[in-house]
Amino acid sequence: MAYADGELAPDERAEFEQLLATREDLRRAVARERELDLVARSAAGPEPMDAEWAALGQDFAHRSGLGVGLALVLGGIALGLGSLLYLLWSASLPLAASVAVTALMLGGCVLLLRALRARVRTRRYDPYREVRR
Amino acid sequence: MIVVTTDTVPGRHIVATIGLVRGSSVRAAHAGDDVTAYFKNLVGGEVEEYTKLLAESREQALDRMLAEAAARGANAVVGVRFVTCEIAGGCAEMLTYGTAVKLG
Repeated sequence: MAYADGELAPDERAEFEQLLATREDLRRAVARERELDLVARSAAGPEPMDAEWAALGQDFAHRSGLGVGLALVLGGIALGLGSLLYLLWSASLPLAASVAVTALMLGGCVLLLRALRARVRTRRYDPYREVRR
Repeated sequence: MIVVTTDTVPGRHIVATIGLVRGSSVRAAHAGDDVTAYFKNLVGGEVEEYTKLLAESREQALDRMLAEAAARGANAVVGVRFVTCEIAGGCAEMLTYGTAVKLG
């Protein structure tokens, strides 16, 4: 696609970009084209350790270790925060302190969810996540 | 689009200098990659999560520079440089710049 390859004249490019702003299918097509371009650009001979990395990628213990480890870490954080909230509200602390800490934690969660939502929405148009090295 | 780090392209003449073009990108790894990278940091070797992160940032910055050059009617960028700076911990920051020109 001429647009993805940067081959359009400035006026044609501006016209196409107006169309791009309103058409999701076109945005996806451009992202796919750029993904292919990036793959072609990074075409290089394999390194000696690449075969070992590929074998590790197929290895069950190696693959599941990542998921299990992250799930435990995230679960621990969630449980810890939940316990902290419980202790905070069951102890006889000043109300202002309990509200402040709860607001801090809830605010953090809201900001995290906001960032996560933005990432999910833009991820499908981000061809750079396929770049390896 | 010809992209070179030299100031000239052998065998071609620069017929017009368009000017400075640049592209920058700051990207972060997700928390899972950071946790994995932390443990790789303890045992040594390549931290591919960060190799990948830096490569993503490099390619995005390069593409942004090329897009600007193309929009300004250039058919080459000479004197291309990559620089990195420290903005935030755990992020890969990359700035690419060069001079957009028209080659005859």
